[in-house]
Amino acid sequence: MWNFILRNIGQRLILLVIVSFVAHSFIHLAPGEPSEVDPMNPRMKPEDIAKIRAAFHLDDPLHVQYAYWIRDLFNGELKSFKDSQPVLPKIWDRFLNSLPLFILATILVWTLAFPAGIYGAVHRGGLYDRSTVFLSYALISVPGFFLSYLAILWVVGWLGVPVISIKTFGMEQAEPAYKIMDRVWHLVIPSVMLAIGGIAVLSRYVRSQMLEVLSQDYVRTARAKGLQENTVIYGHALGNALLPFVTMFGLLLPGLIGGSVIFEQIFAWPGLGRLAYEAILARDFPVIMTLNFIAAVLTLSGTLLSDILYAVVDPRIRLH
Amino acid sequence: MIIKRLLLFIPLVLVLLLFQSYFWVPTYENQAAGNPNRLVTYIEGSSGDAKILNPILNADSASSSIVGQVFEGLLDLDENLDLRGRLATNWQISERAYLAVNPHHRFPDGQEVTGKQLLRRLRVAWEEETLEGFRESVTSLELLPSEKREETVSLLLTDASGKPQVHEVPVMIDIPERVRFTLPQVDQDLFDRLQLVLGEHYFKHFPYQNLIHPQMEISKEIEEALRVKFPDILPVGEHNPIIVFHLRQGVTFQDGHEFDAGDVKFTYEAIMNPKNLSPRTPDFEPIKTVEIVDPYTVKIIYKRLYSPAITAWTMGILPEHLLNEASLNREKQERNLSDEAQESFGMRDSRFNRHPIGSGRFQFVEWQGDEFIHLKRFDGYWEGPAQYQDYFMRIIPELFTQEVEFRTGAVDFYAAQPHQVERYKNDHRYQWFSSLGFAYSYIGYNNRKPLFAEAEIRKALGMAINVDEIIHYLMYGEGERTTGPYPKNTEWYDPSIQPLPYDPQRAQAIFQNAGWHMNEDGWLEKDGKIFQFNLITNNGNPIRKNLMTIAQNAWKKIGVKVNTQVFEWAVFLGDFVNTGDFDAVVLGWSMGIDPDLYQIWHSSQAGPQQLNFVGYKSSQADSLIVRIRQEYNRERQRELTHQLHRLIHEDQPYTFLYAPLSTRVLDKKIVLVQKNADGKEEYKKIYPLKSGDITFYFHKWRKLEFTPNF
Repeated sequence: MWNFILRNIGQRLILLVIVSFVAHSFIHLAPGEPSEVDPMNPRMKPEDIAKIRAAFHLDDPLHVQYAYWIRDLFNGELKSFKDSQPVLPKIWDRFLNSLPLFILATILVWTLAFPAGIYGAVHRGGLYDRSTVFLSYALISVPGFFLSYLAILWVVGWLGVPVISIKTFGMEQAEPAYKIMDRVWHLVIPSVMLAIGGIAVLSRYVRSQMLEVLSQDYVRTARAKGLQENTVIYGHALGNALLPFVTMFGLLLPGLIGGSVIFEQIFAWPGLGRLAYEAILARDFPVIMTLNFIAAVLTLSGTLLSDILYAVVDPRIRLH
Repeated sequence: MIIKRLLLFIPLVLVLLLFQSYFWVPTYENQAAGNPNRLVTYIEGSSGDAKILNPILNADSASSSIVGQVFEGLLDLDENLDLRGRLATNWQISERAYLAVNPHHRFPDGQEVTGKQLLRRLRVAWEEETLEGFRESVTSLELLPSEKREETVSLLLTDASGKPQVHEVPVMIDIPERVRFTLPQVDQDLFDRLQLVLGEHYFKHFPYQNLIHPQMEISKEIEEALRVKFPDILPVGEHNPIIVFHLRQGVTFQDGHEFDAGDVKFTYEAIMNPKNLSPRTPDFEPIKTVEIVDPYTVKIIYKRLYSPAITAWTMGILPEHLLNEASLNREKQERNLSDEAQESFGMRDSRFNRHPIGSGRFQFVEWQGDEFIHLKRFDGYWEGPAQYQDYFMRIIPELFTQEVEFRTGAVDFYAAQPHQVERYKNDHRYQWFSSLGFAYSYIGYNNRKPLFAEAEIRKALGMAINVDEIIHYLMYGEGERTTGPYPKNTEWYDPSIQPLPYDPQRAQAIFQNAGWHMNEDGWLEKDGKIFQFNLITNNGNPIRKNLMTIAQNAWKKIGVKVNTQVFEWAVFLGDFVNTGDFDAVVLGWSMGIDPDLYQIWHSSQAGPQQLNFVGYKSSQADSLIVRIRQEYNRERQRELTHQLHRLIHEDQPYTFLYAPLSTRVLDKKIVLVQKNADGKEEYKKIYPLKSGDITFYFHKWRKLEFTPNF
């Protein structure tokens, strides 16, 4: 087991270097320049642009720029082109903003998808089942940003309350209870929007897993023993149906960065996804590269985690 | 079964808990309920975050709008776009000029030119008034002895692989004897007036090689580049305009430190410090020296005639005591940086740029990246405190989201799009403004291509397009026709010039006169070739894309075949515009308030990477452009700009389409608050100035609890 983990970490480290170098090359080879050296500023002289380019190492060969980036990243002095602020604290701040949204959306997905899926499986073919099938496919096909816009329009049009960003502005002097509830309210719509797609997909999985498990022999045996239907479903079947989902926890990790770019953009949520989006628009190479690197780390450690979890929960699997 | 109950109970409680929070949130009609401070808080929506809050370093609109509140310049622009004193109370402009002795030259009577002779002859001419205008413009003449000066010249060259490289060359300059003229007003024609005394070609054949000596071994190419710069390094005739600013006394920065001439000099030096990489250097580059006369007087001496240079002083002034060498060193020590970071530490790295302190009406409180910037009013402001207590700039990237927040009262102001303004016009809860800004849209023809070489042909192309229809349908009426290169609301624009008429028949007649006839397929043809070209624009601007289609269609009707294409911005600039490799483009300019058009229209600026990318060349326009930037008298400047406007209008290197109106919407509850003589408050409706700006009286704005009727 430990052998397996160590060997895997080693492999993943090598992969990480390759991924980050390829990403680095792609980002630098894509057309466009950091906005700081934009030649369309009519008053900017070529000499000034040349100086800025030199300070950013933009004219060095790719592998040299890569080395500069690695060096600065690991001694903590990597700075954004855009505002000359250190990259890592910047990313940490944004991470703290993204976290509640991510957690709430995840909780919503996992708490709502299971009852919905289980009920569908138990009452297979009924009106509820058929309408949820339709609804989930509809929700999977409709793009999330479109639904978000509709939701915002309805909430603003009917209720006339703010929905954007992480709190209502000018609430600093209000009472603490109002402020907390205001923050909660601002979490509601974006996290529901973020969760909807997940609920639709996950409840489908739950339903099919449950159906598979319910047709197993031991379920028939349990029923034959004369156990109550609830005990059969929630005691015997559910636990086994849950097995594949445990591994999905590991795969949730990379979603922290990539999962919410669109929603953070629409809801003006100052999180990681939006940081990445804006860095790309401004060709802010240090920020893009670092986020990319973190995403790669999260993906690789996520898959490792799910491999390990699988072995932990399923005694049939042994890692060598 | 407990699991079953939990599975139902947990989601239910969670959902209820989340949705009850709705009852705690304020609504549009009742923004101040339980929160009276909302009425003295102003919240502006911005699509981009600020980058760096330092007046000498920022280059984006979000940063500059915050910097504009926190910092204050020596001058600003008043209601009529005239300069107005802020940190400076008043100023005078005079001139000093220098004429170097040219030993290679002889006076018209054949005598050798020496310092003494030159001075004597000029004195005589001055006393006897033999030169026109000389006596009036000059108050005194003196002879300066020759001297030596060391200087480092930076030269930009491209190396073998095409990369730009900066070379620093130290040079020793033998400055010959010079006559110094003192002028109470700037006179750009001073040296022309002296021609009778000096003879012709005095300013040519100056022995630069004998006077400028590089202090190191240099290659052929560098020498070549240096030679081009000789007239800048040692001008034969030099104009030095001088501005003396008298500063306002008793003004303090927001930390209580008093403002004085040292801060002005420091700000200038910080801009020119190459380590700071300031984007403002070009504006301040014409300055030769900044001298502190006394703590409340500064004297700015310029290297050459460049009248727009004074507007640079509208830029905010930095507090010297917080950013000088000593404070930066202290910060460097405190922050425990690595050796290398310490080495390169400069103003750009300072915490000041995220916690600025200036002398403006509002002082900085907090900046949450991509979320908001919070300012509060500065009660010690010299003109008295503003009405609003707090100022927020909220970062909302999506236009749609901005509108949504505006409608729920969580934003007081945002840059509404024309189609959005349509919706607010009929709503009694909002007030809206629409006024001219400094921008215009155009179709630019590559004047280098034989197809567009004739002004008549360009005119005909322009006549085929119905601009009024474009304004009506594409801009929702939020635009005005424009006829030339200046913003319509400045005095540089000549309103008497009529726009090209929409007249496809006449356009066709022009083509026929030029030898183009309609062929069987309905295209104009001459010598077997049809009139065909590519029209391109950048991606991401739907209005330009639509303009392109409209133009294509209009030209098709008169037999001109046009292919259109949209490119990503970087490609559009890099592969087409900067290289001059295009036929025609749809683009727009956003102008400044100064009348200098050198970069966009002067023929010397038509090279690759330069802004006269359509390659407009007119010697008449060139001399007008140069005269305008050297003229310090506003009346004369206006006459010249009107001539230039007419000239460019007649040449039609662009088809000038329209100037978009900027449209703004505000909550109607926001008003101008004025104190009457008896101390009572009076409310007035907010109005836009000539520049289109509505925020000029921002310090008098406040939100009322009720919607007023005006």
